[in-house]
Amino acid sequence: MKGTHLGEFEELILLTVGVLYDEAYAVAIAKEIEEQSGRSINVSAVHKSLYRLEEKGMLDSRLSDPESKRGGKRKRLFSITAYGKRALDESMELRMRLRNRIPNIAFKWQMS
Amino acid sequence: MDQKINVPKLPHIFFRWYCRPERYEELHGDLEELYYERIKEQGSTQARMHYLFDVIRCCQPYAWKKLSLQPNFSTNMFRNYYKTSSRSLMRNPLSSFINIFGLSMAIGVCLVVYAFLKYDYSIDRFHEFKDEVYLITFSADRSGTEEQYGLTPRPLGDMLREDFTHIKKVCRVEDKNAVLKNGDKVFHESVRFSDPEFLDMLTFPLKWGVKQSLAEPNNIILSDEMATKYFGDENPLGQDIQMIFGEDRSKTFKVSGVAEPFPEAHIIDFSFLVNFENLRTNFPNYNSQDWGEFVNATLIQVSAPSDLALITEGMTKYQTLHNKAQNDWEITSFGFEQLASLHLNSGNIKNDISYDASSEGRISLPILALFMLALACFNYINIAIVSAAKRLKEIGVRKVIGANRGKVITQFLAENILVTAFALIVGLVLALTIFLPWFIQVAQRNMELNLIDGNLWIFLVALLFLTGIASGIYPALYISKFNTVKIFKGSVQFGKKNPLTKVLLGFQLILACITITNAVVFTQNTTYLNNRSWGYNQQGTLYADVIDAVGFDRLNALMIQHPDVMSTAGSTHHLGKETAPSLVYQANRPYEVAQLSVSADYFKTMELQLTEGRFFKDRSENDKQAIVVNELLVKNMVLEQPIGELLEIDGAKYEVIGVVKDFHEKNFYYEMQPTIFRLADQSDYRYLSMKVRPGTEQEAYQALQSEWAALFPETPFQGGYQEDVWTGFFEEVDTQERFTKTVAFMAVLLASLGLYGLVTLNVSGRIKEFSIRKVLGAGLKNIAINITQQYIVLCLLALVLGLPISYVLAKAMMDMMYPISVPIGYLEIMLPAIILVVVLLAVVFTQVGKVSKSNLVDGLRTE
Repeated sequence: MKGTHLGEFEELILLTVGVLYDEAYAVAIAKEIEEQSGRSINVSAVHKSLYRLEEKGMLDSRLSDPESKRGGKRKRLFSITAYGKRALDESMELRMRLRNRIPNIAFKWQMS
Repeated sequence: MDQKINVPKLPHIFFRWYCRPERYEELHGDLEELYYERIKEQGSTQARMHYLFDVIRCCQPYAWKKLSLQPNFSTNMFRNYYKTSSRSLMRNPLSSFINIFGLSMAIGVCLVVYAFLKYDYSIDRFHEFKDEVYLITFSADRSGTEEQYGLTPRPLGDMLREDFTHIKKVCRVEDKNAVLKNGDKVFHESVRFSDPEFLDMLTFPLKWGVKQSLAEPNNIILSDEMATKYFGDENPLGQDIQMIFGEDRSKTFKVSGVAEPFPEAHIIDFSFLVNFENLRTNFPNYNSQDWGEFVNATLIQVSAPSDLALITEGMTKYQTLHNKAQNDWEITSFGFEQLASLHLNSGNIKNDISYDASSEGRISLPILALFMLALACFNYINIAIVSAAKRLKEIGVRKVIGANRGKVITQFLAENILVTAFALIVGLVLALTIFLPWFIQVAQRNMELNLIDGNLWIFLVALLFLTGIASGIYPALYISKFNTVKIFKGSVQFGKKNPLTKVLLGFQLILACITITNAVVFTQNTTYLNNRSWGYNQQGTLYADVIDAVGFDRLNALMIQHPDVMSTAGSTHHLGKETAPSLVYQANRPYEVAQLSVSADYFKTMELQLTEGRFFKDRSENDKQAIVVNELLVKNMVLEQPIGELLEIDGAKYEVIGVVKDFHEKNFYYEMQPTIFRLADQSDYRYLSMKVRPGTEQEAYQALQSEWAALFPETPFQGGYQEDVWTGFFEEVDTQERFTKTVAFMAVLLASLGLYGLVTLNVSGRIKEFSIRKVLGAGLKNIAINITQQYIVLCLLALVLGLPISYVLAKAMMDMMYPISVPIGYLEIMLPAIILVVVLLAVVFTQVGKVSKSNLVDGLRTE
């Protein structure tokens, strides 16, 4: 399905948005991914993907209350849409389907 | 709610500037959050750094203001222009290449000329007081015309110092030749004697030592070059160097200063600088109070140029003092030349300490640059007009959509400036990597293009717009003129019949013709000058610069025994090296002549040819009152019966006993001069010249050198082959030849490129016509004639117009540069014509070949 295609980083973002549920905004997402995957993520990369996913309709967003730790500014909180869930599921399913089709023999390289 | 924002200011402003307002809050909130966290964890400095990086990283399309939200018509339009322009450039690689290559070549030439002019106008302008220091000159009428001289009567400097309070400083400069010696390093050098103010007025920076040290007569200041020559790389301060003025006169100086290397753009300089006082102590005959004698230069420094008028007024009394003491140089007025512009005017001042090395270049190089630029622009215009056919539809569509004529003109001009900008970059690279190094080598002056120089960029931008507009304005006006309806109907008739195309091409051919003629004439001239007789036999002749008469006797005694030496002669002056100016009076009318004092053997040794009368007799007392003159003198003074004529020199009567054929005592840059020979006193001999058996020149030269080394181990040898006295001149002539050849090559290349582009476009536009002709049975010959016809007529017309112009220009050029030059004959005129016609035919026939090979079905098919 062409329309729901997800990039690797986008998929990661989408997943993290789900994980963080009500606290999913750029800085938190970046930190979460850094923590989980160990790779260093810049916040601008997260911004870029978030806005793109929102454009695609996979994410929805609203503004929170202002917070003092952000200099009195509001943050944009993201949440997964139904379309986003479908894209995630399809992508996961595709992976699993392919993974399951790998014959056991392909992993038998130690034997030879 | 609004907390005080204390993020770094500048990045924040930048962020605010690029960020779209509706996203500012959330995005900057994120950055601020990170910033405050980092302050806690890593400290302020780190946090500020990270904030800056974040701001830069966030500068991405998602955060940008939306340009398209604010309707900005012109940006879009220009973006579209850029697109169509680059497409049309890509679609016609050949004509684009011709345009860009031609323009870049012309721009490269312009840049080199810029570098040259910049160099030329910066000569001697690094002195701090360049606008306050003046050289005193005077005007005198020596032989019919008043001329300006850079010399000054000797006591003038002292008098000025005492008489005028307006004059801040005065400095006399005198140059003498001497032998300098430090250990085994012994060379002939020119030494500058000057008042201690010299370095205050001409602010040459010193590498070592202080300029005040010149006040002490035993001190000497060296140039950087000389310091290295005599002392190597070490600091020579305090070391001794010996100066030898003659057999028994010498003085040891202490090095008290070394100048920084002189800037490239300088003419006035020094090798060795010592106090003026040394002239009095070391040259017993030098009387600095003699009004009848001259000093090489007197410089003054004034606070304001307005003082000069006052000083001039007060100087008339010196005129009388001088004129009383010296009858031969009647001063009519004194003048002042500012240091800053001295070298520019130096061509008009005789015997001054500066010189004008590039008066020809100053005029001809800018003209040349304009030539090249014109050629390239014409190429552009022609190709643009002819290829406009391909873009007619585009223009029609633009007009329908709503572009008015002004918009179309702007589009074409903008496109052209883009092309020129590209050519400018290529031209800059060409100039820096090829043209300038070549020109430096040819001109032997180390000029440079400094990319940090602000003026260069102003020049480049000016050049960009000048070239862009000059080449683009006509095509833009022309193309934008067409009526939209006619364009779409397909009834626009144009391109092939535009008369301007032909005029421009004709003009190009004329320019090419001029440069080729110049190259041919210069080449011919080099051969001509190389083969021209010097008026005496320079071959097999050697000379040596002896120190004094004693030295002459000792060397002569040895050399005359050498088996290869056929004859020797002594002289005070020497052809090609030195003559003395003198005045000859005939019936109280003065004539300026050159004078050579020689021995009786000199004529035989140098093989000067006698036409009338006789030469001097050896050691004859009577001949002391006799002179031998050259034919030019006889002609100029209108002597009906030269032999026996009595002429007055220095108040005494001399009888003309012989007339010799005219000869060149200086190189061919100088006209021949009326010349007299007098019998030299044996005690005045300074030169030894000798004729050797043909083929033995080298052996004789070696013998001469080794005898010299044995006789005068203290003094370096000066002398050589007579043939070599003008080496510098012939090198220069060669240089000019190489230069004009290159220029001609470039002009022909540009013109033929343009022609090639034109013919190609013309042929491709007429491919259907040629196909029909072929179908109807036309052969190759017929088509070739058809294509060639219009160009050959044009070419002939250009030649008819161009050749006379070339002739006149080449002749004027030759007359300006050389008093003696090759006569311009048929060959010089026919050769350019032949070259041009051959190039033209070659270009046309490449296209004829293409047409003949093309498949006529392709040409006839219509979509």
